Amino acid sequence: MTKSVIIDEEEGICSTVTGPTGAEHRHLANSVIEQAIRDADLSLDQIGYCVATGYGRMNVPFADSQITELTCHARGVAKLFPNARTAIDIGGQDAKGLKIQDGRLKDFVMNDKCAAGTGRFLEVLAETIGLNVKDLGDISLKSKKRIRISSICTIFAEQEIRAQISEGAAIEDIIAGLHESIAGRVVRMIKRLKIEPDVVITGGVAKNSGVIKALREHIGYDIFVPENPLLSGAYGAALLGREIYNKETSEKRDIRRGISLKEGVTFFK
Amino acid sequence: MTEKTKKGLARVEEIYEDRSKRAIELKEQGKKIIGYLCIYPVIEMLTALDMVPFRIFGDIKEPITKADACLPTVVCPFLRSSLDLGLKGRYNFLEGTVMSHACEVCEKTAHIWKTYIEQKYTFFIDVPHTVHEAAQEHLKGLLEDFRKTLEAFTGKDLSNDKLTKAIKLHNEQRKLVREIYELRKPNPPLISGVETIKLIKSLMSVPVEEGNDILKDVLAELKNRKNAPQKKSIRLLLWGSIIDDASLIEIIENADANLVMDDTCVGTRPYFDDVKLTADPLEGLAYHYLVDIKCPRTFRESEYGETSKNYMKDLSSRFSYLSDYARDWKVDGIILHSLRFCDIHGYEVPAIRDFLDSKGIKSIYLEPDYTESALGPLRTRIEAFIETLG
Repeated sequence: MTKSVIIDEEEGICSTVTGPTGAEHRHLANSVIEQAIRDADLSLDQIGYCVATGYGRMNVPFADSQITELTCHARGVAKLFPNARTAIDIGGQDAKGLKIQDGRLKDFVMNDKCAAGTGRFLEVLAETIGLNVKDLGDISLKSKKRIRISSICTIFAEQEIRAQISEGAAIEDIIAGLHESIAGRVVRMIKRLKIEPDVVITGGVAKNSGVIKALREHIGYDIFVPENPLLSGAYGAALLGREIYNKETSEKRDIRRGISLKEGVTFFK
Repeated sequence: MTEKTKKGLARVEEIYEDRSKRAIELKEQGKKIIGYLCIYPVIEMLTALDMVPFRIFGDIKEPITKADACLPTVVCPFLRSSLDLGLKGRYNFLEGTVMSHACEVCEKTAHIWKTYIEQKYTFFIDVPHTVHEAAQEHLKGLLEDFRKTLEAFTGKDLSNDKLTKAIKLHNEQRKLVREIYELRKPNPPLISGVETIKLIKSLMSVPVEEGNDILKDVLAELKNRKNAPQKKSIRLLLWGSIIDDASLIEIIENADANLVMDDTCVGTRPYFDDVKLTADPLEGLAYHYLVDIKCPRTFRESEYGETSKNYMKDLSSRFSYLSDYARDWKVDGIILHSLRFCDIHGYEVPAIRDFLDSKGIKSIYLEPDYTESALGPLRTRIEAFIETLG
């Protein structure tokens, strides 16, 4: 997903946009910023500074700088939850653990090698069961006796689930097992950081109440979820952009005001 | 003799791009080129008999297609790649090989190499894994055997005089390499990490005297260079498993960091201590290869025979050289790199991190695969690490 957040001088959010990314990053970057500006009732020259983050950060032609999603997430989470010390971000492509100190990223771990322990794991397996990934959380909460999924690998887990279904296992127990599997995998990774409260979860999987329940059991602390868990990285990028802008202008350095949209590069003519 | 018009860093680039070219030329002139895997084969003994030690490397750009038939896929991918190149005939110009029990997989690779690849000479040194005197004595004995096989193979006598002369030549190379590393101390450094790894790899591809000439040219060039590396915000040190391709270093240096120091085997490890000149040269060599070279394949403890547990003392005896490097090269953070399935480096990481934490030195742990495509995801980690240091 591609997200955009515009903030004002008081760090308040003017507008947000969330949309699917697709293959044409540069083209999309332009249309997302255009929509964000429209929603905020602003014009392009009113944007003082723009930070791009995430996997596509190099593909935003009009960005003033690029900062990794790890730093941006930590900043966004720290602003939303000033007591946060640990953040877990489980997105569609990877899972990350962040340690936060004084509002900044201190240390991190991440898994981006395979789908295991990410939102993709749930997407694929929801499809196997024939459900929408959005409904998994609520269904799993009905489980009385969750099934143990022993495979970490998405493909092997799929085979295990098929076997369970044919043996007549209850769907809610299977899904609860999936949530336990992803939570266990993520916590094992994040334990390398020494988990400290408050713990915050972000990313698409934060919308799944079943995974949060399983994570809570593993971690032993309450887990806080932002109102919109998909936007904390983009919000952090905006906050960092504002900091850079203020620092540069206070030091009277020449800073380009207003972004311009270059022609979006496209390979679909 | 071909023209060697290029000098200094330009010559380094030339060798790095096609490292077997010079070896093949030398072979045509009648020299014996002997391959060695890892840094434990005692190359001074090859030089002493006028043979050319040529280090065997892998290739992260070349998919492994043949080695999987004889080595499991869950072992060191560098060694799998090296063996793969061997099986594909890329090292056919070698007269023979010297390999060692550097680590478990290196031993297996040596045996498989010997089984499947035609060569006129082969020797295996089962280098012990501890630093005690008894272990040094054992290695000395193995080197005696090595000497005998080399004498039989070449029909020449490997006298102590010849060996001492070779040790001096290699010590000169070590001294020159250390001088290069001195030029990484300024900010910005006078030589980049990418240039350094290319230089070291070149040295491991040509005879020692030729390498020494290259080093002298490079030193002269660096001291007057106009196109020095750009100054970045962060200075980093790289520790860990073998890195035999500049791509990973390029990722670091394309981010906002200068790589100014390393503790790897295509870097400081074989060069930072001289071989002591002893009456029996094998004694100095055994000491150097076992005690001086600090690869985690050799087990070290704070004191032999100490029976009580003192973790911090143990850590500091094993790793204080790293914090010395960090201090002397004014490093902001350390990248710990353990190649996927590199057990020896992987085991060391928790202890090193405890040590670095105790010294307040920040570090990041990377565990990449040995392929070019595995490097992309590392970019985000490296950039984020640099952001935490800024």
